[in-house]
Amino acid sequence: MIRHRLFPLSDLLGLGLIHAVAIFSLVLLVAPSIIVVIISFDTRAYVSFPPEGFTFRWYAEVFDKGELVEAMLNSLQVGLTVTLLCIVLGVPTALACVRGRFRGTTALSVFVLVPHMVPGIVLGVAVLFAGSLVGVVPSIWLQSIAITVFILAVMVRTVQSRLMRLDPALEEAAANLRATPFQSLRTVTLPLLMPAILAGAVFTFVEGFDNLSVAIFTHGFRDRPLPVELLALVQYTSSPLVAAVSGVQIVLAIAALVAVSMSIGLDNVNE
Amino acid sequence: MMKGPSGPATTVASAAPVLRIGAVSKFFGTFKVLEDCTLDVAEGEIVTLLGPSGCGKTTLLRCIAGFWEANGGTIEIDGQHMFRVPVNRRPVGVVFQSYALFPHLTVARNVGYALRMRGLPRAEAKARVAEALDTVSLTGFEDRYPAQLSGGQQQRVAIARILVMEPRVLLLDEPFNALDAKLRGTMQVELRLLIKRLGLTSIFVTHDQEEALTMSDRIAVMRAGCIEQVAAPDEIFDRPATAYVADFIGTSNFWSARAEGGLVRLPDGQTASTVLKGEVRVMVRPHNLRLDAAGQGPWQGRVAFHRSVGPLVEYHVEIEGGMTLRVATMRQSANRPIRDDASVSIAVVDPALCAVYPG
Ligand SMILES: Nc1ncnc2c1ncn2[C@@H]1O[C@H](COP(=O)(O)OP(=O)(O)OP(=O)(O)O)[C@@H](O)[C@H]1O
Ligand SMILES: [Mg+2]
Repeated sequence: MIRHRLFPLSDLLGLGLIHAVAIFSLVLLVAPSIIVVIISFDTRAYVSFPPEGFTFRWYAEVFDKGELVEAMLNSLQVGLTVTLLCIVLGVPTALACVRGRFRGTTALSVFVLVPHMVPGIVLGVAVLFAGSLVGVVPSIWLQSIAITVFILAVMVRTVQSRLMRLDPALEEAAANLRATPFQSLRTVTLPLLMPAILAGAVFTFVEGFDNLSVAIFTHGFRDRPLPVELLALVQYTSSPLVAAVSGVQIVLAIAALVAVSMSIGLDNVNE
Repeated sequence: MMKGPSGPATTVASAAPVLRIGAVSKFFGTFKVLEDCTLDVAEGEIVTLLGPSGCGKTTLLRCIAGFWEANGGTIEIDGQHMFRVPVNRRPVGVVFQSYALFPHLTVARNVGYALRMRGLPRAEAKARVAEALDTVSLTGFEDRYPAQLSGGQQQRVAIARILVMEPRVLLLDEPFNALDAKLRGTMQVELRLLIKRLGLTSIFVTHDQEEALTMSDRIAVMRAGCIEQVAAPDEIFDRPATAYVADFIGTSNFWSARAEGGLVRLPDGQTASTVLKGEVRVMVRPHNLRLDAAGQGPWQGRVAFHRSVGPLVEYHVEIEGGMTLRVATMRQSANRPIRDDASVSIAVVDPALCAVYPG
């Protein structure tokens, strides 16, 4: 391909800006993570930089400490529950909002969005109080439901935007080709929505796994999720143990990203 | 009636029409999009809906397919009323303007879709898919995805996908729009021959008159939700029923005149017959006019512009009153075209081919 030798000024400016933003985000987002990972291998029993030695001691300790492993498993359970609930509730909601012919489709999509606009802390406190009024005590299930309410909008919006860009003629063609409404949903609509559903699932899982603001008021006191456990940990210790937990999370996050990009491609997540 | 090349099918000339559209109307809110559309389509016939953008062609097609329910009138296929019959139970196949191929399915699975929905045994479905792909000359493309095909190939997949389910009525909504002009011409002829060979009863939508003339056994000219005339292409061209049809199909010259005693006097002194009285408008096609550079006839004009269009020479002739007539003559090697700016006398070749409309 032949490239123009001279870029117009606007192109140069644009390119410069993109590079500046990219470098800025790298420094701000990635550098701290790298530093945390480096610290997690330090031999000293307190957090400091640069490190003085190399050891797997803190990682060993993470997996020796029963409560940390348990917290990770709790968060994993919350993440999976939230994701499942968001798929089961969110996909039909998105379908109803976009394809529905009844009055109130706009009201429905606003209704789903509102909890996401409320600060997580407010939502958490509200669920806690409302729960105690009707005799529901905080538990891993209450936490999962509260986070689902909080994050459902992301799943709905992701699926909605994909659905709005689907050519309606595809579903009409399916019906014309003898598909019942259910067959058309199963063989055409859902397969074409799958990238959006998977993208939504990644977001909602991360939120379920990672959420602190809602979780702190709604989790069961026997079933602490990882963020709450970590918060407690940094209050009492200043060892690189916390950094090691972060290291484990970073590895998990990278693994998830690689898995998603290999199965559906990152472009599809990005919409 | 046109005769299909398939032969035997046309012997049942007086059989009931496959598709009957009776006084169909359609409203969007209070906005009337279709009004009393009536049209019968015979077995194996290709009828084109032709009209300007927004006249309701797609709307009528969608009512036949069942995507929309008409607000009034009847739609019958083989004598069966289609009212309240859901889309997937109508014996109708639609080729969409965008083709609407399923992007996540291979060509073979796209074509076999209707058979899977119907639960046909796998072996039989496979054989019929192969047959349909062979019909549209796409054998060997089974495992491609739609995005890996050219526009023309995509269109053929869309057609094969309809053929496998053997619909009674085929509906095509501007199927050539996505193709470039050159491919369009060859595909038109190919598609017409294919539909005729299979004997499919079809409605074809276009706003391109040349396409309509190529594809159709009969043309239904639409105007603002109404069908103005339904007739064979030659008939539509030679005897347009209304001034609108005359204006829409081909090039035409109009002028006002008075009709008396069943006759209209033409400016060149000849007369044309009519049943109308009083103020009328007369229409004559460009090829029904003749120019004479040295002539002294009563109808005089000045050549403003001329150009060669293939075998024809087209003149723009200014006449009294600031009007411009379009005249087309065959190019002849013996005499050169009349120069621009030359004074000419104009005459109608055959007054019987002049059309007279209410003024
Ligand atoms: N869903 C709708 N709601 C309201 N009005 C509509 C709708 N669909 C079409 N119309 C109107 O109906 C009229 C006919 O539309 P239609 O699509 O049938 O035209 P068309 O003849 O197919 O035109 P084109 O050649 O541009 O495809 C237009 O005036 C259009 O604005
Ligand atoms: Mg249209």
